Amino acid sequence: MDAQNILVCGIGGQGVVLAGKIISNAAFEKGFDVKTSEVHGMSQRGGSVSTHIKFGDKVFSPLIPGHGADILLSFDIYETLRYAKDFADKKTLIISSNYGKIPLWASTRENDRISLAEISGALKINFDKLLMVNNKETAMSLGNIKVANIILIGLLSKFTDIEEDFWFKVIKDNVPKKTEEINIKAFLAGRNEK
Amino acid sequence: MNIINKTAKISAALLTGNEAIAAGAYKAGVHVATGYPGTPSSEILPYLARFNNTIVNWSINEKTALEIAIGASIGYKRSMFTTKHVGLNVASDPLMTLAITGVRGGIVIVTADDPAMHSSQNEQDNRFYSKFAKVPMFEPSDSNECFEFTYEAFEISERFDTPVIIRTTTRISHSKSIVHIEPAYLPNMNSNLENKKFLPKKKPYIKDIEKFVMAPVYARKRHKIAIERLKKLQEFSNNSGINKIEYNSLDFGAITSGISYQYVKEIAPFASVLKLPFSYPLPDLLVKEFVKRVKSVIIVEELEPFIQNEISSIGINLMGKEFFNRFGELTPDMVKEGLISAGFIKKYDNKSSGKLQGKGGLSKLDSLLEKLPQRLPALCSGCPHTSVFYALKKLRVPVMGDIGCYTLGALPPLNAMDSCISMGLAFGAAQGLSLSNSSPKKIAGIMGDSTFFHSGITSLIDAKYNNACFTAIILDNSTTAMTGGQDHPGTGKNLSPGKVVSNKIDIKRVVEGIGIDEIYIIDPYNYNVVYKTLKKALSSKNLNVIITKRPCILYPVKIDLGKKFKILEGCNGCNLCMQIGCPSILNSDNFLDNNKPIPFIDSSCIGCSICKDICVFNFIEEIKS
Repeated sequence: MDAQNILVCGIGGQGVVLAGKIISNAAFEKGFDVKTSEVHGMSQRGGSVSTHIKFGDKVFSPLIPGHGADILLSFDIYETLRYAKDFADKKTLIISSNYGKIPLWASTRENDRISLAEISGALKINFDKLLMVNNKETAMSLGNIKVANIILIGLLSKFTDIEEDFWFKVIKDNVPKKTEEINIKAFLAGRNEK
Repeated sequence: MNIINKTAKISAALLTGNEAIAAGAYKAGVHVATGYPGTPSSEILPYLARFNNTIVNWSINEKTALEIAIGASIGYKRSMFTTKHVGLNVASDPLMTLAITGVRGGIVIVTADDPAMHSSQNEQDNRFYSKFAKVPMFEPSDSNECFEFTYEAFEISERFDTPVIIRTTTRISHSKSIVHIEPAYLPNMNSNLENKKFLPKKKPYIKDIEKFVMAPVYARKRHKIAIERLKKLQEFSNNSGINKIEYNSLDFGAITSGISYQYVKEIAPFASVLKLPFSYPLPDLLVKEFVKRVKSVIIVEELEPFIQNEISSIGINLMGKEFFNRFGELTPDMVKEGLISAGFIKKYDNKSSGKLQGKGGLSKLDSLLEKLPQRLPALCSGCPHTSVFYALKKLRVPVMGDIGCYTLGALPPLNAMDSCISMGLAFGAAQGLSLSNSSPKKIAGIMGDSTFFHSGITSLIDAKYNNACFTAIILDNSTTAMTGGQDHPGTGKNLSPGKVVSNKIDIKRVVEGIGIDEIYIIDPYNYNVVYKTLKKALSSKNLNVIITKRPCILYPVKIDLGKKFKILEGCNGCNLCMQIGCPSILNSDNFLDNNKPIPFIDSSCIGCSICKDICVFNFIEEIKS
């Protein structure tokens, strides 16, 4: 199998690193060659963060080349905009939360404000395969806002060659025991989304 | 931990380069491992501490860390020292002479470089240290090589009587790839693994002054030995099989090392490759053979033309840095561009059909991107450093800064730090700046607790000794926060509890011991006290010290004070609360009559109350449930 390239992006502290761990370990459990790359440190502090994940028969570079993502998974719509320009093309499947936030101090110039609707509009014109998900609302309905990103991972799992059981195992290995059930529920909510 | 097949002798695990280095050191039977936290090296020691039989300790700085490793080696034990690139500068004094004394137990020095400066103040290429000190160097290209070469490095260290450098970069240290590893060399929290096979032999201590006392009379002899050693190491570099040629097309070839090897293999799978995981000393015979057989050869390396210089010093001039940047990281795309410019591969784009184009959509994307805020890293919601920088900004004094999370106090909107150059610079620079008489206002120097222990103590002694006049601020959050919450003397804990007893050192008593009498200890969550204390200290004519005490909100445990705040109706949109840069204060979609957006505080607020103290109109209030 040609390497599948998945780029996960969001804001520091949002769980981008954990998502990268779950996806890469699922691919590893399945038996693929896997490489991931991420950056720690300064960028963790509310900065824009991303994790590159590549898996297949043989992987060399841990970095995804420009416009080379097969799937772009984004936890923040502003970051979707930032990373889609560099890593996505018409064939890229973009799975993005429809929610995003910019801290007040970073967006004081009035003319620089971007509405969420503007972003999703521009993304729709440019990218053919775009899934905007109201994952925050689904997470609330499941009873825990913290599982919002697992919902998106569930949705992503449908587009990989990795069977459900591998995902279950890895999620159980990586979340606290007491949140296991709700995380699996959230994963399935994403996976079964039409 | 992922072990594919627990019964098989060799299994596979998905590890970062840092984890793989720790596993390799454990396999080699390392007895003492030391270091000071620094991105991207920080995860090696905590991972190693999960094994038994190894003493793993954070030191107060890189110099003491390497000195401890040297002592363990003199005692016949294998030791390892880990650091980020700039940390090796701090340890370079012991390194340069260790290089001529050689070792007893093997010494491995791991330097993790940070090209592109993801979390660093410079992007120096530490491969030059290996040439400078005349010590051999590994440059692994993935986690499996990190594991294997770390083990190998200890063997080479003892065989050739030399410290060995393992030089990684961020993309090696923080990338994960599959490591083929015996399960015994993976830490397992559920079992009590013992690396019995490599239990160090007990040898009685014997002194050897000709080897370890580098007084001129002995040092002159040892330097000659180190030069002789280089020749033997070069032979090893040529013949060990670690450096190797992968023949393919005889028209095109690349000489490469580290992460660049992976990019070359991906971009130019047809090319022959001379891979140099043992890049110093240069395997001159292999290079000569390669350029003889392969028609056109290019050198692909990140940062400086290190390999290129070595190759040109044996009289072979090849293409290289003229096609690749001498700064920043390489990427697969940059390697591709470089190989196209050098005529190695043709310009083609197999994805052109999928390229973004048309319908005016791309320009819409571009114009939105232009407006997209850069999202600079910021201090956390509730960070105890926030109030200090806000007060410093109000007081408009020059602030000599330092390296840690609090360096973010230099960025907007706080804008309250004027320098960040090296660890521990602040108090020395504050003394110097005050001597320059260029500021009518008293100077402040500011650093964190871990930095104070690293190298702030010495400069504070210097300040007292030379009767300097500035205000030294120590932000004590009881952890080394920026690198992920490592312990230091102020916490009284370390990585090997049970094996090593740690003692707690009180910063205030250290400062008193220096003889500084004017010391203020304050709670940074009380903004009014912070402001008044700073104002008082900065108007006194003495060298004085302010210690702010509040634990980091992330480490060792996440803190939520359980209070929430809200912005009341009637807020005039003055934006003052924005000036503290709190990530929990956001723009709402509601606007005032004057078109100013009304801010709101979202659920990520942990209740530090600083915004409430700062709002002069009293529009911020605690939510009473």
